[in-house]
Amino acid sequence: MSAYSGELRKLTSLPSVWAAFAVGIAVPAVVGVLSAVSTSAAIANGTKPEAGPDLGYQELAFGVAGAIILGVVAASSEYFTEGESAGSGRQITTSLTAVPSRTRFLLAKVAALTTAVVLMSAIATGITLSCVQAVVGDHAHALDGAAATRVPGVVLYWVLTALLAFGITLLTRNGVVPLAVLVLNTSVVTVTFLLSKVTPLAVYFPDLAGMRMFLTEVRVPVELSPITGGVVMAVWVVLLLACGFTAFTRRDA
Amino acid sequence: MLTIDRLTKRRGSALILSDVTFQARPGRVTGFLGPNGAGKSSTLRILLGLDRPTSGTALVDGVPFERLPDPLRTVGAVLDGSGAHRARTGRAHLSWVAAAAGIPRRRVDEVLDEVDLTGAARKRVGSYSLGMGRRLGLAAALLGDPAALVLDEPVNGLDPEGIRWMRRFLRERAEAGHTVLLSSHLMGELAEVVDDVVIINGGRVVEQGTLAEVTGAHRTLEDAFFALTTGARGGAR
Repeated sequence: MSAYSGELRKLTSLPSVWAAFAVGIAVPAVVGVLSAVSTSAAIANGTKPEAGPDLGYQELAFGVAGAIILGVVAASSEYFTEGESAGSGRQITTSLTAVPSRTRFLLAKVAALTTAVVLMSAIATGITLSCVQAVVGDHAHALDGAAATRVPGVVLYWVLTALLAFGITLLTRNGVVPLAVLVLNTSVVTVTFLLSKVTPLAVYFPDLAGMRMFLTEVRVPVELSPITGGVVMAVWVVLLLACGFTAFTRRDA
Repeated sequence: MLTIDRLTKRRGSALILSDVTFQARPGRVTGFLGPNGAGKSSTLRILLGLDRPTSGTALVDGVPFERLPDPLRTVGAVLDGSGAHRARTGRAHLSWVAAAAGIPRRRVDEVLDEVDLTGAARKRVGSYSLGMGRRLGLAAALLGDPAALVLDEPVNGLDPEGIRWMRRFLRERAEAGHTVLLSSHLMGELAEVVDDVVIINGGRVVEQGTLAEVTGAHRTLEDAFFALTTGARGGAR
């Protein structure tokens, strides 16, 4: 329990974690309002009968960048070197002298990361969907009956994505590459989505599969049910975390 | 009591440590001396469970560090730099260490005062001087008021006043019955602090004993050190 509260305290006192919260909450809300405004204009001038089923949820799929930053930073901050003039120290030595059991240390980290991401995604989902609903009104599907299963889907998707980023960064011990690759894939160029044009197998990439938990319109060759999508993503996360855990417990710190 | 027993460490084909054996006893300051790259840090990292030995053991009161029920109340350690993330404040760093080890929050202010960092507690670690960073590392090591201290190059980067402060601090710690193990490549700074000396060179212990025994016929510890670590034995690395 103390290892967990130590990890929570680490997260709350790191400026990059607050930046991750700002990204995760502001990005989907702002993009959601912009698309809601244009949808509502299209409904008003008659070009669209009503808002698409994924309005608001599509934007939450972008906001997962905040969870990626959190997952990467939770691992990379341990290995961030102070710089030669400051003695080239790394936080990991302090972490493992306070909590020497590597298994306990990693479990505490995963628990603290999950807590933070649940909080972040719940706030982001609440704000984004309410904004969309407020702008589009009765034509929106953001908060209809299906929201009861889609909202937990968003939260789970964010948590699994953060854990995926964490597992990869445990292997690389440096945040730059995983952060660049994962954030670019969710925002600028969705490489996994482009690959789905080449091979139907690409629908089993963790991001495309996991999105099925809350998106209804994903233009990919193979349809997965929300549950299948979630299970596929969870399998990826378990495998990558297992690799990260094994490397971490075997290597010299 | 810290017990290092027949420690060997290979990294790839390189032999980092070979059959390193020594002890650090309560109430004494043990100086673990050797040139850069001799294997001092590797030995201390294995003692703290950070690195794994190829063979041999390193025990704290008969138990591997990883299995200590209350590690921070048993051993306080300062390795490279401050051991803190540079974006956090000094106080935030100590707060998470205390939380992770189940140590009451009030100790944070006490150790900040003890190492004279109260004034800089709310500044980011990245703005600290090397000496301040070292003192922050020491503050974290003292949070649990441990029976043993393990310090890697504790006077590196300190100004003369800081070195004086550190010497007095280490003596007081040992005289209160605690175990102090420190590594250094600077003999002159530490000769008057240490009770026992272990000299390592090229991954092997080349001499150990009380300060008087190791100094032997030489004029100073420094002379004895250079006689043991240069010339026929080939120096560092």
